[in-house]
Amino acid sequence: MHMLHIKNGIVIDPKNKISKEKMDIFVKNGKIVSEDEIKKDECKVIDATNKLVVAGGVDMHAHIAGSKINTGRTMRPEEMRVVRTIANKFRATVGRVLLTSPAIGYEYIKMGYTSAFEAAQPPIGALHTHEELDSIPMVDKAALPVFGNWHFVLKFVQENNLEKLKTFIAWALERTKGFGVKVVNPGGVEAWMYGGNVKNLDDQVPSFNVTPREIILSLIKATEELNLNHSVHIHCNNLGIPGNYQTTIETIKLAKGFENDKRQVLHVTHVQFNAYAGDSWRNVSSGVEEIAKTVNAMDNVTIDVGQPIFGHATAMTGDAPFQFTLHKLLGAKWSNKDSEVEGGAGIVPLVYLPKNPVHALQWAIGLELGLLVDSNKVVVTTDYPNGGPFTEYPYIMTMLMSKKMREAELQKVSPYVQKASSLPSIDTEKTLDEIVHMTRSLPARILGLPNKGHLGIGADADIAIYNFNPLEVDPSNDFEIIYRSLKSAMYTIKDGKILAKDGEIVQEHWGKTYWVDATGKVDLESISNEIEEYFGYYSVEVRNYGVEEEWIKRPERIVI
Amino acid sequence: MLILKPKIDFTVTVEAEITPELATKEIREIENLKIYYGNNVVKLNDLFEIKKEGDDKRLILDGDFSRVKWIGYGMTDGEIIIKGNVGTHCGSNMKGGRIVIEGDADDWLGAEMKGGEIIVKGNAANLVGCAYYGNLVGMTNGKIFIEGNAGSYIGEKMNGGEIEIKGNAGDFIGTEMKGGSITIHGSCGFVGGDMKGGEIKIKGEFELVPTFKLTEDGWVGDVNVKGEGKIKKF
Amino acid sequence: MALKDVICTFCGSVCDDVQFDTENYKGKKFCKLGSSKFSKKERIKSPTIEGREVSYEEAINKAAEILVESKKPLLYGWASTVNEAIRLGVILAEKVRGVYDQSASVCHAPGTLAVIEEGLPGGTLGSVKNRADVVIFWGSNPMEAHPRHGLRYSISAKGLLVKGRKDRKIIVVDVRPTTTSRLADIFVQVSPGYDYLVLSALRAIISGNADVVPEMVGGVKKDTLLELAEIMKKAKYGAIFYGLGITQSRGRDRNIENAIKLVQLLNRITRWVIWPMRGHYNVVGAGEVPAWEVGYQYAIDFSRGYPRFFPNEFTAVEVLRRKDCDSALIIASDPVAHFPKDAVKHLKEIPVIQIDPHPNMTTLVANVIIPSAIAGLEADGTVYRMDCVPLRVKKVLDSPFWSDEKIIGEILRRVEELKG
Repeated sequence: MHMLHIKNGIVIDPKNKISKEKMDIFVKNGKIVSEDEIKKDECKVIDATNKLVVAGGVDMHAHIAGSKINTGRTMRPEEMRVVRTIANKFRATVGRVLLTSPAIGYEYIKMGYTSAFEAAQPPIGALHTHEELDSIPMVDKAALPVFGNWHFVLKFVQENNLEKLKTFIAWALERTKGFGVKVVNPGGVEAWMYGGNVKNLDDQVPSFNVTPREIILSLIKATEELNLNHSVHIHCNNLGIPGNYQTTIETIKLAKGFENDKRQVLHVTHVQFNAYAGDSWRNVSSGVEEIAKTVNAMDNVTIDVGQPIFGHATAMTGDAPFQFTLHKLLGAKWSNKDSEVEGGAGIVPLVYLPKNPVHALQWAIGLELGLLVDSNKVVVTTDYPNGGPFTEYPYIMTMLMSKKMREAELQKVSPYVQKASSLPSIDTEKTLDEIVHMTRSLPARILGLPNKGHLGIGADADIAIYNFNPLEVDPSNDFEIIYRSLKSAMYTIKDGKILAKDGEIVQEHWGKTYWVDATGKVDLESISNEIEEYFGYYSVEVRNYGVEEEWIKRPERIVI
Repeated sequence: MLILKPKIDFTVTVEAEITPELATKEIREIENLKIYYGNNVVKLNDLFEIKKEGDDKRLILDGDFSRVKWIGYGMTDGEIIIKGNVGTHCGSNMKGGRIVIEGDADDWLGAEMKGGEIIVKGNAANLVGCAYYGNLVGMTNGKIFIEGNAGSYIGEKMNGGEIEIKGNAGDFIGTEMKGGSITIHGSCGFVGGDMKGGEIKIKGEFELVPTFKLTEDGWVGDVNVKGEGKIKKF
Repeated sequence: MALKDVICTFCGSVCDDVQFDTENYKGKKFCKLGSSKFSKKERIKSPTIEGREVSYEEAINKAAEILVESKKPLLYGWASTVNEAIRLGVILAEKVRGVYDQSASVCHAPGTLAVIEEGLPGGTLGSVKNRADVVIFWGSNPMEAHPRHGLRYSISAKGLLVKGRKDRKIIVVDVRPTTTSRLADIFVQVSPGYDYLVLSALRAIISGNADVVPEMVGGVKKDTLLELAEIMKKAKYGAIFYGLGITQSRGRDRNIENAIKLVQLLNRITRWVIWPMRGHYNVVGAGEVPAWEVGYQYAIDFSRGYPRFFPNEFTAVEVLRRKDCDSALIIASDPVAHFPKDAVKHLKEIPVIQIDPHPNMTTLVANVIIPSAIAGLEADGTVYRMDCVPLRVKKVLDSPFWSDEKIIGEILRRVEELKG
């Protein structure tokens, strides 16, 4: 019976309204418990005196497992040649921004992050995604299958059959052991199968009588009626195109009229890539102001940033037509994977250079989003590896808390940012409490995981202790100290076990894989004819499609 | 000057990134230099007889070094003379100085070379002056001179510098080349694929990709990449 | 019920619509290659050390000792077993600081090198089945090497937009007529070793530079190339499937690179995908698993305690030819039968551990022999079809033999004990 006593830490726990209070945390059997549940003399004691204690970080959107990522690794030995650690008691880890699976687990845990979510899983490749997730040590994880170009979805939306759409979502989540409804460039990836894309929400998807607007609305309706723990999670149409901020605002407004008392009804991801005003790369500017206004005025929409970090990155998304556009723009190597009748994906290497006007603008836009959107509605991400490494979340966190740090950084980037973005004039400095919320309690709430992202009784004992005193350190000025501390947690505790200490791995551990079972709310038989008919177009038998729970190391089923 | 002689026949290859700089160190330090013998980390004097004669930056590798890899890696000045054959990655990432190989060289000779000079009296193998997989640029400066023949993949993605081969070469001469020059006195195989710039001169027979324009100045191409590379017979 | 639904574990098509009669030990619906795999064959009957029958534990202990004592052990094969075993094999190679290589290094590895240079603009077999109105087999003869590929995915398969053979144009590009070329609509014969030049010429024609292309390229008339280019441009969705005809002939990785660049160019006009016709049923897994575990697909050296990728010196053939290993673990493979003579010579001079269900030529040189259960029949696990679609192969028969996963797992455990 393993017990921990974390003593005298300065706790920030936004969900439970605890702000920089000196308090003890008690852990038993992997959960946070009250003091009377433990025997103090049998506890392992961690002295956290005057150190920041928070819940482990929750990375709600990163590309960490599956065929996209693995093809990225395969095609980029220039990334994989960077050696991080040599094999000893633990695995060797390599990778510059792209990382091997063991490296992903170790790097998250060293930084004090304890949960990570694969943002886009091609449904037929679900077993591969789970194999890779199960090769990532330390963190709890899950994967989001992609729905927005899946022929079943397009068919049921076209037929206006909400009941069958709901049933299909439940069937798909069960088969892929997936976590929620991810949508990527709805309709656009199907259009790419014909060499095209969609440009606005009312374009017709080729061969189907549906529009992106209808796809999104139907999926929101179905998700809400099923009352899934996570909302529709959308990568908007027109990603990466100057002027696209208007599509983003139109998409956000589709959430109007929906209500959910536990969470948002629409989560819009890596908004930075969808926040461009202007009409060409020559006059592109920030479209954040209006997006922020729209999001702040609605109480049922959340976003995450998708922050670019200067240096190497790899663009990899299910937005296949966009990836081809990027390949043409950059002249870089390009992989593509059209996937059955489900969707697609593309991969292109990139570099963000501070002196490049467009890259600097993208960097500024990401920060604008983090600063202008309510802290209760915006999560810190880099859309890893599209914007850059997740190991630089501390950079984003400290930048959002310090105008001084931003001013110094602005000196190093292209002057284009001065006229194309409002970043130089934003004085906002988010507080440490807000930043903890944006990296812990908020993403946990958005995902619908009540035991994550906080330190209340009953929460999973996923805890990070950082080596600075939040009562003494001033985020506006002491950003160097905070950055260094956040990069390398003093202690990272997962399921009540100390896994990392001062940036070193102490123990290996295998986390849980969450998946959502909504089959109890539908009648799967009602779509068996459609499944059988459409599987004629698949290249595998329906009986061999999908993932069984027994094949996953530590499956954790969330029953709706 | 430092003279190294293999003590034994190596059962697996040895990896030793030794440069002329080593000759300037104290004998103790030289003897204890850590090198790889397969997965065993050993000392230099476990595998080599070491004789130091003065402090000048010269390395004489006396014997068969064909199973020793990474000689001269990243060296900046001084001289290495190999009195025999040498293993893979010789002169890789070299920035200056001179390497003379009296026997044959193995793959990746002068890979991503940035300066200096390599002379091979015998033959070279494949991947001469090339970029490592996934890197965008290969050799940028320096000279590689091969008396004998070379294998395939010569000066790919080259951006500067010179490669000269007195004998024959294989396929893929100057693929994706951007600058610099390659001269082959003998014959070779496929030349100029995706060439953007630079110059290739060949005396013997060769097989040009069918995507070059014939001008009075020689062949210009590769049109597939709107290239202005020049290929000439001499 | 003796008749079970199974998934075939022979070639890269990984047909998952086949059945196996467990009572009569017979396959149903298999092609002749699959049938032969799923028929009774001679088995290695017991673990042995130098010909002496021993227990599994003793053999595994001996194997672990050999690996731990080696300066550079080679761990090779992997393409004909399941991911779960491969993953343990990669971790084992890292632990003993040896070299991991897999069967692709003698067939489709050049494709991986091309992907590194240019990427892979591809799609799953299902997207080809449903959309491709033009399919080109380049240096590939599926009717012989992947007999049901055409039926299930690429020639007569019934898809959403392409209803069958009549809606598809099948083109074969090869150095001589084949069974596949005889059923194709167009056969383009290339002089052996000249695919690289033909591909460059096609790129020039399609990008508007036909004028520089000479009248004859690689044995193909310019008119034929112009015609082929037109068909490719007019396709609604085209697919190139390529095989050993261009990965193992003159040009190798640069051939594939050129074909990839051609497909990338075509995507500016219409839609095209390109994909390799992988041979073994899990050669893709043998590459994907190490990619996520250590960053590369083959030819990986761990001597320095971290992975390094150099195909010219760390493929099994190169390591053996260069006499650069002092022991070898061969799993689900037969290098003595397939490798060049100078590579096989070294294999005879070092301690060899073999793990396989069936005896083969390599068994004759092995010092420690460990019989394993047949994956897809006596042991289950995950495999990746040629297009990287994952499938879970089944265990439908009990057997006294340990699975590859168990054997490698136990060797790894013993190695960890020995290393302390």
